[in-house]
Amino acid sequence: MIRAATTPHPRLGVVKLASCDGCQLTLLNLEDELLAIAERLDIVEFPEATSHRSNGPYDVVLVEGSVSTPEQLEQIHEVRREAKLLVTIGACATAGGIQALRNFADHDAFRAAVYAHPEYIESLATAQPVADYVKVDAELRGCPINAAQLVELVTALLTGRRPNLPDEAVCAACKRAGRVCVMVAQGIPCLGPVTMTGCGALCPGYSRGCYGCFGPREQANVSSLSRQFISLGRSPQEAGRLFAGFTGYAEPYRDAIVELGGLPGASLAGERAHRAMGAGVNAEGKS
Amino acid sequence: MTTESATFERSFHVEGITRVEGEGTLHLTVHDGQVSDARLKIFEAPRYFEQLVVGRAPDEVIDITARICGICPVAYQISAAGAFESIFEVQIDPQVRALRRLLYAGEYIESHALHVYLLHAPDFLGYASAIDLAKDHRAVVEQGLALKKVGNALMALLGGRSVHPVSLRVGGFYHVPRRAELEALRPALANALTQAQATLDLVAQFQAPPFERPVRFVSLKHPAEYPLFDGRIVSNDGIDVGIGEWRAAFREEQHEGTNALHARTLSGETYQLGPSARVTNAADQLHPIAREALARIGLQEEIARNPFWSIAARALEILHYCAEALEIIDAYLPPAAPFAPWTPRAGAAGWGSEAPRGILWHHYETDEQGLVRSAQIVPPTSQNQGQIEADLRAFAPAVLSLEHGEATRRLEQLVRSYDPCISCATHFLDLTVEGA
Amino acid sequence: MTNVTKSAIGFLPRAGFQHLIELLAEDGRTVIGPTVADGAIVYGEIHHVADLPQGIGAEQAPGHYRLVHHADERFFAYAVGPTSWKRFVFPPTLALGESRRDDHGHVSFGPAPREIPRLAFLGVRACELAALGIEDRVFLGGPYTDEDYRARRANTLIVAVQCAEPAATCFCTSMGTGPGIRSGHDIALIELDEGFIVTAGTPAGSAIVTRLDLAEATAEQLTAGADQLAAARDRIGDPVVTAGLHDRLLAKLESPRWAQIAERCLACTNCTAACPTCFCTSVSQRSDLDGHTATTERRWDSCFTKGFAAVALGGNFRPRVQDRYRQWLTHKFATWIDQFGTSGCVGCGRCITWCPVGIDVREELNVIAPPPQVSAGPAEAAQPHAPRSSVFRVEGVRRETHDTVTLALSTPDGIDWSTARGEFVMVSLPAVGAVPISISRRLPRGLELTIRAVGPTTTVLTGLERGAEVGLSAPLGHGWPVAAAQEHDVVIVGGGMGLAPLRPIVDEILAARSRYGDVHIYYGARTPSDVLYTEELAAWAARDDLEVGVTVDRADATWLGRVGVVTHLFDRARWDGTKALAFVCGPERMIQATVNALAGRGLTPDRIFISMERHMECGVGLCGHCQVGPFFVCKDGPVFSLAQLGDVFGREGI
Ligand code: SF4
Ligand code: FES
Repeated sequence: MIRAATTPHPRLGVVKLASCDGCQLTLLNLEDELLAIAERLDIVEFPEATSHRSNGPYDVVLVEGSVSTPEQLEQIHEVRREAKLLVTIGACATAGGIQALRNFADHDAFRAAVYAHPEYIESLATAQPVADYVKVDAELRGCPINAAQLVELVTALLTGRRPNLPDEAVCAACKRAGRVCVMVAQGIPCLGPVTMTGCGALCPGYSRGCYGCFGPREQANVSSLSRQFISLGRSPQEAGRLFAGFTGYAEPYRDAIVELGGLPGASLAGERAHRAMGAGVNAEGKS
Repeated sequence: MTTESATFERSFHVEGITRVEGEGTLHLTVHDGQVSDARLKIFEAPRYFEQLVVGRAPDEVIDITARICGICPVAYQISAAGAFESIFEVQIDPQVRALRRLLYAGEYIESHALHVYLLHAPDFLGYASAIDLAKDHRAVVEQGLALKKVGNALMALLGGRSVHPVSLRVGGFYHVPRRAELEALRPALANALTQAQATLDLVAQFQAPPFERPVRFVSLKHPAEYPLFDGRIVSNDGIDVGIGEWRAAFREEQHEGTNALHARTLSGETYQLGPSARVTNAADQLHPIAREALARIGLQEEIARNPFWSIAARALEILHYCAEALEIIDAYLPPAAPFAPWTPRAGAAGWGSEAPRGILWHHYETDEQGLVRSAQIVPPTSQNQGQIEADLRAFAPAVLSLEHGEATRRLEQLVRSYDPCISCATHFLDLTVEGA
Repeated sequence: MTNVTKSAIGFLPRAGFQHLIELLAEDGRTVIGPTVADGAIVYGEIHHVADLPQGIGAEQAPGHYRLVHHADERFFAYAVGPTSWKRFVFPPTLALGESRRDDHGHVSFGPAPREIPRLAFLGVRACELAALGIEDRVFLGGPYTDEDYRARRANTLIVAVQCAEPAATCFCTSMGTGPGIRSGHDIALIELDEGFIVTAGTPAGSAIVTRLDLAEATAEQLTAGADQLAAARDRIGDPVVTAGLHDRLLAKLESPRWAQIAERCLACTNCTAACPTCFCTSVSQRSDLDGHTATTERRWDSCFTKGFAAVALGGNFRPRVQDRYRQWLTHKFATWIDQFGTSGCVGCGRCITWCPVGIDVREELNVIAPPPQVSAGPAEAAQPHAPRSSVFRVEGVRRETHDTVTLALSTPDGIDWSTARGEFVMVSLPAVGAVPISISRRLPRGLELTIRAVGPTTTVLTGLERGAEVGLSAPLGHGWPVAAAQEHDVVIVGGGMGLAPLRPIVDEILAARSRYGDVHIYYGARTPSDVLYTEELAAWAARDDLEVGVTVDRADATWLGRVGVVTHLFDRARWDGTKALAFVCGPERMIQATVNALAGRGLTPDRIFISMERHMECGVGLCGHCQVGPFFVCKDGPVFSLAQLGDVFGREGI
């Protein structure tokens, strides 16, 4: 649960792990609110934007990116110790992100395929969501996060109320926006029914199916939806690739991918991948 | 920042360069007033994109590679689309092409305004961040944010959102806007044009540290338009290869202690990409409004010689793209179809586009179903890295006499003038050594 | 040319249709009608006949919709598409109110600025007229009304067009709503190849029709219209046998089919969004960064979302998708009838077409509740509007436990609250939220509320200090029938926070102690530190005219009293249940156990009263969250007798 900030100027940190910086850029993209937020929150750590540095303590820390190197593993524990509230932002931090698709494959082989000198590259066997390692108090989904949800989170923090971050399907927002279902009316596969809302049902508004960047919603019925994809004429492999996007490592998308035959580029190294995938995916219980 | 002073040896070490996209470390060793080693280490975690796209369909690759960098996703999408369209020989409708320039213009305006105002200006004005700068000069920062917002609005209209837009696909777009939707952006853009002029006048008053050196500028070059995603790859010293032929003039290598691959010319030399390179190599193709403005501030020579003046080149490009965006909107007629259909086939091709930081080059090989067999992605920062290190080596002696903190800040400022995007520079596969 | 008189039937040639659109516009209306967008026929603004889907229809099947081209030139040769008119009279998101709270804790509440557009609906089908009629009962027929809906509805003129091209998903014939137009329209049209048969249904409609200056429809035209309708009716057939459906369906609450549907059901909410009658909503707050000014916003919600059935103090009464599907289907086809005197389904088929995996309610109904006997309850009469918040001041704060406080609140407006009926109030705090809280004591000029910090809103409420202000609705809901207990013995059983709503009963009894028989108060808390009203419990216990028992689940070093579940407090008691009335409140499991124990002591279901207040959200019968079986907990309860609840009590997933 997000509680009222106790200090008059809560100390905010923005921390990055393996990511593309797009989620933290969303904070800088709040052109209308940025300066007002900076007046109310003391931004003590945000290397992309300021040369002031701080190792904590933080009242709130926003964590972008997945844990994929030994240093990041150390870093996330340290950040957790220093933070009253730890909020993960974006698909990388909440679900492992696109780079977590490598978890479906054998890491050494992967590293060797990408780098001429794999021995120079330090990375963990898997890229994992933050909640696999430390307690997460709240999360903002999306690749990238949605600006309005970020403002909602900050406002809730400052006013002490519950952030209004519904866990319903993308469809709910899509229909409120008056969009026509792309799957029913055009036969385009869409992950909307199993994906958590928050983006404003962007993709169906651009005549394409949702690609699931906000990750699975509660009780996502992926098997029913994949059966429907196949009856729309997609091969199992194609259907599997639809789930293998920016949150493909999150349950139950992960299961759907494996069930539909695994990932093409990453031959599934059975045992090992499964062991690595054992951990829970995200902190659903935000309260 | 840490300092180790010895009589003969002095080292500057910046652990985690701030106000850049991603994470990097700067390390410089100085012996008796001579720089013995300059290293920009990139410790951004590897994300293995070139392997992640193997087996994926072209439209998926467009969305996946965008995630290499949240600051310039359009660049990744356009370069990838260009490579696939080259393999499948897709003809792009001229209006669709114009919309792609418009989308890209949005990214330039956003990315450059971010860099000029929020990341780089604080260096010139002596602040730790734009937030500190805003305490004294709120109007300046607000102007930067207003420009940024217009860039974002363009991307949001054409692509649904500004970070990782969702509209681009091989052959065109999933969805194109109506004319009225574009026209609604006109007033904000017209206002941005004025603010872009003001930006240029503002940065022209900045004091750049004195530092001049000759440099090899590499950019795209198009006969009729300011270089963006078409033309040839050229340099100011005679390199001239097709847009798909990057490998005919350049190569990548991996160095210890960094997760990024470096690029060099085939003969092993460094080069510079980005706004200064484009403004120098293609000054004649700038929009007349931007050309006039350049004449007014008169910094063309400085841009060509002093890397710190890249801030002026960036401001100039903001102006150029505001002007070009207005023209595209005025001439827009919705295309008959949002995208041209294509048939998958086996093949291989490279394509590049001018990301705000310089040429971003992709190369893909596909199988008969059009799925990716192998990929190579060469981002601008890994190409600039050699030149950044060379500049650091050349510039460092000039700051050695300064107080350590100040000297370090100057060195950081130099790195920042390349707007290095470290997220971009980390992930890349050297195909020539070990294939997938 | 003879002018068509008010009652006569006119004919509008196709070429004159633009004139009708213009007349509607001249009447100051934005015309909303069918138009093609994104691969479907949707309702949007119509300026010109060219905006209409001329020569275009749609092929529909479960989970499938495709536009098709017709040979003819008709404008309305399609069956209903994805949009329904509810979007225009019951907007998907709506600002309900604006509130402020300054740094000193002063609060104020006001309505949100609102503009009610003047609309004309063009092309409303018979099933859609029926749907609007149902929405009228839902929003305007209960104890509280939706004034926004009333205003929008009043500002709308309806031009209906009779169906000639039903889809394969239609079943209005079974639901008795179509395809023929009967009532609810201002103007009705029947489209023929060469034009439209026109009739007016209301004076407003006939004012427009008169200006069309029509010739009378010929006998052939009327016959063609009737034939067309008969053909449409035949095409639809009678896919669902509705006779006795209410009872048949409610008899199958344990059908294995529910679980099978859940394997396919995505719980994506498309069916409820497409449904022209589904009305459930949720409310949230939006505010500026400081929380000084806030907007309360209502948005469409659905019984398919998990959060929808979440209850106060934690828990969810419809955790599984099969529970949610059962709630939806049984509500639509059965309990809706108990609530509103009409089925909630009009047979438009939208939920079938727009289900992404093509679940077909017709098929499910026939499998779950195979045929045939009809039942219907009376519709309720319209009553006063939903109450607005009045400002109350915190006069005192008493800490009950580590997370629970009792706020004493008074109103400056001098209303005597000591006699106000109702069991709970909606407490709202600008930018934070609004929650239903039961009254724990009535005071001459106010009341007491005992609140536990479980969510952010209650966390802020429990942190309020003396002098702070909050908004309170008038007391809502049906409270404890204390008066009925006069001359009887009374058994009061509370668990945890459940003691709070029971306290006013004790107050009322003590105010006229002699009118009641023996009074037994039993209270169970989790631990000694969770015990509410410790001093008062002690004071009650000290009286010789009350029996008081307190127990805890887990004792600590300070506790010398009873340990164990609350029913143990009276399992050896000597009183005779057949002479008593019982009032029970607490967590569901505790209520269940207590009810069993009471029944064992001879209390009949009509004399056991329980409160189901944890289910409530909006408190005024409009949001739909609190529905349990046929009941709205907020307006039918929250206090119910077991007899009233019948087998709804204690059933999982209802
Ligand atoms: S979640 Fe997406 S946008 Fe955010 S950092 Fe990761 S890749 Fe970038
Ligand atoms: S209808 Fe909203 S709480 Fe009962």
